[in-house]
Amino acid sequence: MKRVHPIAFGLLILAAGAWGGLALAEPTVPTGMVLIHGGTFKPMFRSTADFKEVEVKPFCLDQLPVTNEEFLRFVQANPRWQRSAVKRLFAGATYLKHWAGDLELGPEAPPRAPVTFVSWFAAKAYAQWAGKRLPTTAEWELTAAAGYTNANGELDAEFRRDLLAWYSSAMQPLNHVGSGRTNFWGVSDLHGLVWEWVADFNTSMVTGDARGDTGLDRQLFCGSGSLGARDVSDYAAFMRYGFRSSLKADYCVHNLGFRCAKDL
Amino acid sequence: MKGNQTSRQDRSLNPAGSRMFSWSRTIQSGLGFLLLVALTACDTTHEKPACCAQPNAVAERADFSDESLYQVESVWTTDTKQRIKLADLQGRPQVVVMFFASCQYACPILVHDLTRIEAALPAELRGKTGFTLVTFDTKRDTPAALAKFRKLRHLPANWTLLHGGDDDVLELAALLGVKYKQEASGQFAHSNLITVLNQRGEIVHQTTGLGQDIQPAVRKLQELLATAHASAK
Repeated sequence: MKRVHPIAFGLLILAAGAWGGLALAEPTVPTGMVLIHGGTFKPMFRSTADFKEVEVKPFCLDQLPVTNEEFLRFVQANPRWQRSAVKRLFAGATYLKHWAGDLELGPEAPPRAPVTFVSWFAAKAYAQWAGKRLPTTAEWELTAAAGYTNANGELDAEFRRDLLAWYSSAMQPLNHVGSGRTNFWGVSDLHGLVWEWVADFNTSMVTGDARGDTGLDRQLFCGSGSLGARDVSDYAAFMRYGFRSSLKADYCVHNLGFRCAKDL
Repeated sequence: MKGNQTSRQDRSLNPAGSRMFSWSRTIQSGLGFLLLVALTACDTTHEKPACCAQPNAVAERADFSDESLYQVESVWTTDTKQRIKLADLQGRPQVVVMFFASCQYACPILVHDLTRIEAALPAELRGKTGFTLVTFDTKRDTPAALAKFRKLRHLPANWTLLHGGDDDVLELAALLGVKYKQEASGQFAHSNLITVLNQRGEIVHQTTGLGQDIQPAVRKLQELLATAHASAK
């Protein structure tokens, strides 16, 4: 090979590096997903024994929650996840109860509304089928902590106001996905539409070896529980922790859906 | 916090990319071809395998009920390095606990509770009951570490010690209703839950807490074995 001039070679390396950086940032993000750059997630609720911070690596997250229409395609391809065929172990009796039939959405389940009445197992199976996975609590919370214009929603007064309004209001009929405002990362509907399953929902709010499970459940609702919170004014995050720790993996409820994540 | 100041425009580029972008554009035309090569190479080196294994294609077992944990297709490794599915535990009642071997406090008591249950069973039923310990600690509790634990604790052959993948542990915990979390110290905070599965892998009894009355679990096991005995006749 012909000798390359050292300076030209150096430029080439630098330029390639820059290009490589760009190539990494964009092309690996699948359609419908958004690149979340990662960062440090500070668990909102923790005991003295917990990690103060969790490093979140860059990952991709669905821009929107999974819709009825998308979930219908999943059950068409996977008959064992149809309402009449699903095993009770993996989904409670209310699984997809708002659909008109096994393969029919009906008036209660608009195609573009987020799918709800799905269990954690069903959400996980969907994600696997789609070649994705469920986000972890840390990934979800890191993304959801962003405001409209800032990676830190705490500094975004408008965002905080909207958030509190949603968490303190009664359930509304489900809108179509994407009707909310996108956040800093370009993700929509993390707040304001439905709660969402996370991969490790069953790692929320474990208090310690010595406490029995009943104590754990009660702990959620007693005032002293909030003493472990990093920022007690973050009512919304506190609500989510409480909600998650009250869940069981086969629960299918009207206000709980999901979206998928994917490694880069 | 650094992230707070990140503007909307920056975030589509990684930090290195954004710094070099402007001048790299000025030379990119001349080196276009080589850059393209570099870009492609870069792409493939950073591309990780797809995050999820495809769902198992294994046919569903018709012989387990809708409620049976033995429908689960996850594959586990025992302390004797055998690869098994939960369904391989079928045939005798199983007393199941999730634990981790380096646990200083709760797990020794949980394991002791299991030995109390075993000791309380009539001698002829002991060998007919399985005891299964599944570790949360997928990093440290390797099959070899579990083998050491078995030796230390003098656990007999009807005890099964299982190591699994993180996702499978999460799923089993979800099925049993066990909650757990790793703490900064490396210890795991976890529910203390003893589950009795019948011969077909259905949950028939759970005891919550440490050092509890073991009689309900013992009675349940006797019942299960009596039924099995009667139906075998």
